[in-house]
Amino acid sequence: MDDGSVAAPVRVLVADDEDDIRGLVCLAVRQAGAAQVTAVADGTAALDAARLHLPDLAVLDASIPGGTGLEVCSALRADPATAGIAILLLSAGADAYLAKPFSVAGLVAQIRSLTGLEGRAVGQSA
Amino acid sequence: MTTAVLGRSAAARGSRRGLIQASPSLVRALPTTALLAATAVLLTVDVLPVADGELVGAGLALGFLATGVARLVDRTSATGEGALVVPVLAQFGAIALISAGSLAPSVLFLLLGPVLSLTLTPRRRGVVVAVLGTAAVLLLPGLLHSDAVVPFDLPLALFLGPLSVGLVTLAGQDAARRSSSQTAELEVLRRERSALEAQVRSRADELDVATRMLAARAQTMTSVIDAVTEQSIIGTDTDGVIRVWNPGAEKMLGLPRADVVRTRSIVEFHDPAELGTAAEEAGTPTGMAALVAAAQENGSDVRDWTYVGSDGRQRTVSVAITPRADDQGAHAGWNFVGTDMTEVRATERMKDQFVSLISHELRTPLSSILGYLELVLDDEEQTLTEEQRAFLGTVERNAHRLQRLVGDLLFTAQVEAGRFTLQPEDVDLAGVVRAAEETARVGAAAGGVLIDLDVPEDGLVVPGDAVRLGQACDNLVSNAVKFTPSGGKVTLALRPAWWLPDGSVVDAEHAGAEPVVQLTVSDTGVGIPAGEQGKLFTRFFRASTAQRNAVPGVGLGLTITKAITTAHGGTLDVHSVEGEGTTFTLTLPTTTS
Repeated sequence: MDDGSVAAPVRVLVADDEDDIRGLVCLAVRQAGAAQVTAVADGTAALDAARLHLPDLAVLDASIPGGTGLEVCSALRADPATAGIAILLLSAGADAYLAKPFSVAGLVAQIRSLTGLEGRAVGQSA
Repeated sequence: MTTAVLGRSAAARGSRRGLIQASPSLVRALPTTALLAATAVLLTVDVLPVADGELVGAGLALGFLATGVARLVDRTSATGEGALVVPVLAQFGAIALISAGSLAPSVLFLLLGPVLSLTLTPRRRGVVVAVLGTAAVLLLPGLLHSDAVVPFDLPLALFLGPLSVGLVTLAGQDAARRSSSQTAELEVLRRERSALEAQVRSRADELDVATRMLAARAQTMTSVIDAVTEQSIIGTDTDGVIRVWNPGAEKMLGLPRADVVRTRSIVEFHDPAELGTAAEEAGTPTGMAALVAAAQENGSDVRDWTYVGSDGRQRTVSVAITPRADDQGAHAGWNFVGTDMTEVRATERMKDQFVSLISHELRTPLSSILGYLELVLDDEEQTLTEEQRAFLGTVERNAHRLQRLVGDLLFTAQVEAGRFTLQPEDVDLAGVVRAAEETARVGAAAGGVLIDLDVPEDGLVVPGDAVRLGQACDNLVSNAVKFTPSGGKVTLALRPAWWLPDGSVVDAEHAGAEPVVQLTVSDTGVGIPAGEQGKLFTRFFRASTAQRNAVPGVGLGLTITKAITTAHGGTLDVHSVEGEGTTFTLTLPTTTS
């Protein structure tokens, strides 16, 4: 809790080709307390944005066009510059990390746990 | 015994077999009869003197009578000593009478007749009869003619005659016995030989039949193989050189039999890259060794291989590879029976793609609906009216229902595609059943249905997928509640049991039985008609009672429950009486098989 107050603002990248879902995830990210949210609709844009902004967390849809979430994930992991980014994969398939449909509350909890926002009060850092 | 020996030696003589076997006494009387006939002739033509015509006549009559008696004995098939001895005794009497009537010493040669037949009788009795008979023959002329001159020295004759006749009888018996035993041995040998001959003949016949059957079978096999036009049947030697190439192979790979048999290897029709990968995996050199590696290890192997036809076209073929043995049982080569799966696999891929498309396309909007609903319902800054909250609750409930349906559809598709996997762990089934009861409790209470729980405190642990087992229990319990009218009862009972090798389940531990956990879900509901119980686990099947009573559902729950049970190595059985209720019994092994 004490290191939460001095931590740098948390930045999150959201990649999903579905506008509605992207909007929902962005809402959840803000609700979780992230300071900056970048939203993109495909894999290529996700990689570019990740390299440009170096976010703390990337929330990737597993089936985005221009390289699936899994491909983006392994590309990020392979590049030393982006290897440190936490990744949350959203999937509608059977082998999901966070299966759709997900609960917003569950997503918020996941984001907070992955970005180290767990200890902070919701909305404070926005 | 004598008769038997005589019969057997007579049998060896072939043509007379029938007569002799039928008339042993008559045959034995024949030498004497012949001698008597000769004597009668000699007496008639006065070569032999006749001292007393009546005695001679009586003797001859008695002699022929003896022959008649012998024949009679055979006719009546009388047995025993009397039957054998009586004719001989009569013959001795006859000779004695003729001797007394003729008084010629040469008549005594007639004694050879009965003595000859006595050599065929059991030893002691025959000798005694011969000795006594001879003595009687020698004594009778003296007794009947006290005045007549006996033509020989009586005391000496009475000593030497019976003695020599006795010895001759003994020697004759010996010779006859030896000869008959030799004959018997010969007969045994002959029989063995003919038995051997018969055996050889029947073996030859069997061989002939077997050869013809083999030829017919080979013909049948060839015609069957030739009739297969949609499957490739390829036989090779151990090096892969093609020996059998059926029309199915011709059609699949585009080359006639004459172009491949003995000249080409099956390896030439395989994708080299695929064989290379298989070789790497199996740790063998590429080529034939890689192709048959799995079949060599497991005795047979079925998997997809890529065949390359003469036109270069690739086909996905499910190939069953089995070793072939020659008639000595030695490994002679390999059989490759292939079914073209190119289109089937393409369809399967399309189906998989469809399933994943559906999974994405249905779940994504559901995610939006449920996510935004959650945001609205949980928004603390803009509270909803009770009515709005109730309406949105209905929307949420139905969205969840849709979500479950999509999940069920996807799961069934995965089961169908064989892509359904379990996440195995130790699962406390008692906890799973309690959770299922909790989930169903509110709905049951609303419908006036009581749920009775009979679950042991101690957990009953089975290896399995907790989520899937929970789904199976939920399905059974929610079904029971759904199909039970108000005022009814649903009973959940969980108990340990033992599974016998014959499939029956008993309560007590039993040698050779497998420990299991059995869950019974009984209801007092509408029941399932007997005729429909067999179709119960079929996809989208709905019992007529379900439709009549307008119970909601699509007919996937039991299919899924059954698939989950089977995947866990368990069984799901149903017992139901229409109008009385239904009991589902879920049996799961507690040890991993």
